Amino acid sequence: MKNILLEIENLNIDYFDGETPLAATKDIGFSIFEGETLGIIGESGSGKTSIANAIMRILPANASVSGRISYKNRDILKMDDKEMKKILWNEIAMIFQNSLDVLNPLLTIGEQIAETLREHKSLKRKEAEDITKEYLEKVGLEKDDFKAYPHQLSGGMRQRALIAMGLVCQPKLLIADELTSALDAKTKSEILDLLSNLQKEFNFSLLLISHELDTIASLTERLMVLYRGQLLEEGFTKEILRYQYHPYSRGLINSSTTINVYKDLWGIPARKTLEEGDGCPFYSRCNQKIEICKLERPSLISLEASRKLACHQGGILEVLRGEDISKSFMNKNGQVRACIDCSLYIRQGEFISLVGQSGSGKTTLANILSGVLKKDSGSVLFKKENSEAMKLGSQLGGVQIVFQDPFSSINENFTVLDAVREPLQINKLEDQVEEKVKEYLSRVELENSTGYLARRIHSLSGGQRQRVALARALIMEPELLIADEICSMLDKSTEANILRLLKKLQNEEGFSMIYITHNLNVALKLSDRILVMNEGRIVESGNPVTIMKNPKDKYTKDLIRFNKKNELLLYD
Amino acid sequence: MDKIKKIYKKLTIMGKISLLIFIIFLIMGVFSGKIARFPHDNIVAASFVSPNKTHLLGTDDLGMDIFAQILYGARVSIGLSLFVAIVSTLIGASVGIVAAYYGGVIDRLLIRLIDVLTIIPSLPILIIISSFWGPSMKNIVIILVLLSWISPARIIRSKTLQLKEEPYILVAEYYGAGFLHLTRKHFIIELVPIILVSIIKLISRTIVSEASLSFLGLGDPTNKTWGLVLNFALGFQAIYFTEYWKWWVLSPLLAIILLVLAVAFLSVDLEKIANTRL
Repeated sequence: MKNILLEIENLNIDYFDGETPLAATKDIGFSIFEGETLGIIGESGSGKTSIANAIMRILPANASVSGRISYKNRDILKMDDKEMKKILWNEIAMIFQNSLDVLNPLLTIGEQIAETLREHKSLKRKEAEDITKEYLEKVGLEKDDFKAYPHQLSGGMRQRALIAMGLVCQPKLLIADELTSALDAKTKSEILDLLSNLQKEFNFSLLLISHELDTIASLTERLMVLYRGQLLEEGFTKEILRYQYHPYSRGLINSSTTINVYKDLWGIPARKTLEEGDGCPFYSRCNQKIEICKLERPSLISLEASRKLACHQGGILEVLRGEDISKSFMNKNGQVRACIDCSLYIRQGEFISLVGQSGSGKTTLANILSGVLKKDSGSVLFKKENSEAMKLGSQLGGVQIVFQDPFSSINENFTVLDAVREPLQINKLEDQVEEKVKEYLSRVELENSTGYLARRIHSLSGGQRQRVALARALIMEPELLIADEICSMLDKSTEANILRLLKKLQNEEGFSMIYITHNLNVALKLSDRILVMNEGRIVESGNPVTIMKNPKDKYTKDLIRFNKKNELLLYD
Repeated sequence: MDKIKKIYKKLTIMGKISLLIFIIFLIMGVFSGKIARFPHDNIVAASFVSPNKTHLLGTDDLGMDIFAQILYGARVSIGLSLFVAIVSTLIGASVGIVAAYYGGVIDRLLIRLIDVLTIIPSLPILIIISSFWGPSMKNIVIILVLLSWISPARIIRSKTLQLKEEPYILVAEYYGAGFLHLTRKHFIIELVPIILVSIIKLISRTIVSEASLSFLGLGDPTNKTWGLVLNFALGFQAIYFTEYWKWWVLSPLLAIILLVLAVAFLSVDLEKIANTRL
């Protein structure tokens, strides 16, 4: 077992700007072990830098700090200046974010690095110079750069110089704050390699603060997710990147182009309610909040080995789970097995795609999951309860399904109003039906004038009809929306519009989606996860990148090959 | 209103003529009291007056005005057949929708009943039942309805079966829609054309059935329908040896034939239109 190098307990940092204190962090607690690399990730303003500055004791004067930051069992916050000076740079050093004002423009970088050495290690000028030159070479600069002034160096070189400055006193703990955010891709990758090699060479502990996932992924073993001054999730970096428990972590990771090579970018939607409380910091943006989230702050508790989470709901909820679903039909040639032992799950706010050619059983599976069709065997759990007796389609917050053909899935003799309000009417929900219909029509970007409400469905185009079908499904406020090839009867431009609308609504309202398509490219653009179906079985599942980079099943490989072939046809 | 215009435009020439004839008969029936200058059930002149300006179709053996009888007969015939057609179509539609919607045992029972009633020839049944029950307007209506709901029930059942498979019905059922909602909101609107056509078809059938019953003397003797007029005329011994048959026999006969033909042509046209969707 490694020793704890730095331990932080109940760290509260408040900034006083005028009368009311502004909390930068609330009851933060974590430890860094010797030789360990730990990342802190969060949006800007989440308090990452305040933590780093608190460890270095360089917070501005209007900040007040309480709690314990113990370095080798001594509380940094209680040390006097002399003790602190001994620790700084020698034991704990910081690589500052590269910007011109970090370095003194009047001194050469060599002088500035050597000065740190002389100050903290009490070395002679010559010794300091030699060591500085050695480190300049280690970070990939030339000995001659000793005499260079900051403005003579490029951004990447300055960042190297700053790394040299951080390492030159051979600290046990190195804090790097937004190390790479200002660098171009090539320099960034060089700097990351450099730091990674140096860390292996010197075996220092690294606390890496960043909002960039690729930096975090390449340098850290363990990761903490910080939001508005509170830790929401903690665990091994690889595991968090693969599977997130907290909705915020998921949103953060989904917003990254590094992870989502194929998918469209969608950030975490802005807060919906302005209600703030003493509860969960993510309350106002969360799509699965319950009463307690507003009142009480969730504490960071262990879920499994080395995984911690702060969420009253126990992390992202599971909306639907299907286990070993099988279904067969009889036709004149005998039995056709449409679904064979299909198992899948979908979590709150997740967008998954079922990809497969026609006849692969994806529509059957969708109909079984939604409850339209009865299964032969297996089980469907909605929010962990058996959905057999539940009428998922006739309740608010249930499951809704939108069908392929907008021309037959809505009664053509209906008016728009009749069509959209039908589910509410059948179940006698809602009093202000017309108001709600208008609201949802505008959500799906249709007119909501009285004239439009009275229009007959048969006078609408396919795209408009499909929007009406969407409004009708969404008016039931489903937790899960299943869309079965909803664009296959529409032209490409309408398809693009409808898909973007759908994804936008899904992102904003936070419902989960199962999208059924034969088009792998569409699935790549939309989904968090893709399930490939072939001959009634789910043959492969994974996120778009793993599916594309490392397809396991033969059918998936074929699918990708056909796609590649089509691309070449177009652009040769 | 637009829809009616549209339908009118789609009628063939025969259909338009038929419509005109039907409307003329309808007006004759509705305003029979105003048009006729004489009561239909009272002696107003000498027996066997030949057609002239006062008695357009002459008088019968008792000296009653035949034109007045035709007018009044139009009212009774059309009224009765409309009533019977509407009632039996509604019954048939309900049976058809219920059978198609619920399926299973209910469907099989109803279908079996319909089959049995279809196989039995209806005229002998009509004759037997009405001679048992005795001649009265009420009995005739009941008997006619009993035998008339079958064909609309058949047609509407099969149409509803077809509707039931429509995706929008499946969607509505997924929302939890039951029999009442589906019938009210989805089935009826789709069935209206079929229902209308079947009413019109039944009208001509009922006119003939009623006329046959009356002609056979099984009708209500107090209501002078065309069939009864015919019955009286043919009941007059040796009518063909005189020239009175030209107005006494021919006029109710022509009235029946004209109206039945008109309604038949009209229903053929309307059925075509209904099948091509409005």
